[in-house]
Amino acid sequence: MALQQGQLDVDSLRRAIRLEYEEVANHPELGFHFLVGRPLAAVLGYDPTWLERIPEASIESFAGTGNPFSVRQLGPGEHVVDVGSGAGIDSLIAAQMIGPAGRVLGVDMTPAMVAKARSAASTAGVANVEFRDGTAEALPVEDSWADVVISNGVLNLLPDKNAGLVEMARVLKPGGRLQIADILVQRAVPESARQEIDLWTG
Amino acid sequence: MAVINAGFVEFEITWRGDIYSGAAQSSSAANFGTLGINFSAILQAGSGDFHRSSRDTRGC
Repeated sequence: MALQQGQLDVDSLRRAIRLEYEEVANHPELGFHFLVGRPLAAVLGYDPTWLERIPEASIESFAGTGNPFSVRQLGPGEHVVDVGSGAGIDSLIAAQMIGPAGRVLGVDMTPAMVAKARSAASTAGVANVEFRDGTAEALPVEDSWADVVISNGVLNLLPDKNAGLVEMARVLKPGGRLQIADILVQRAVPESARQEIDLWTG
Repeated sequence: MAVINAGFVEFEITWRGDIYSGAAQSSSAANFGTLGINFSAILQAGSGDFHRSSRDTRGC
């Protein structure tokens, strides 16, 4: 949803989102307003073979809204940025698709998710993926580095979606691809509701 | 639309579906007919120059 400057305290929103996803990282069994883990992956059409070499710790905290790989699978040697990489499931799937000549940079603003993703990559022995702390509006990635930007359920959480999309454009090579999963709101959201942090996070 | 304004072309929504059914808690976002979607787009050649000139290069 679009947000006019001054309508909502962006820092408060980011804190609320971090808290929500810290819970998903540390206590995925609690139950949320969205599906998580393997049941969600099945609903979204994730090929079970993609998950065979992904550590369970990464799968259990999966909280996406779609399937970036259903648009097109990634090719050998590609550079991939995963915006809002969470516990790392999509980055680790991407790492398998691109092979040892490719590289994945996963970026997330929730420290508990970054820690879980790094641990999962280490457990899986995946060497072509790196997880960095950062926000979608200021990606810690150099200009024109990526062939593909993937993201899953993150764009809707950004107070400034334009800034996030401009950053994705900055890190992509000309002709590079966006493969994004997110949400679509079919009914207009009242201006008053746009200022409710609970609505943004739930 | 924001995707096109950021310099992308060939925007296409490739899937949309209910992603809230079966969740442990009800979602207030569901009141607005929220669906999960997949979409793709291509960065238009040359459009990145504008974005690159507006930011410092970050180390990779």
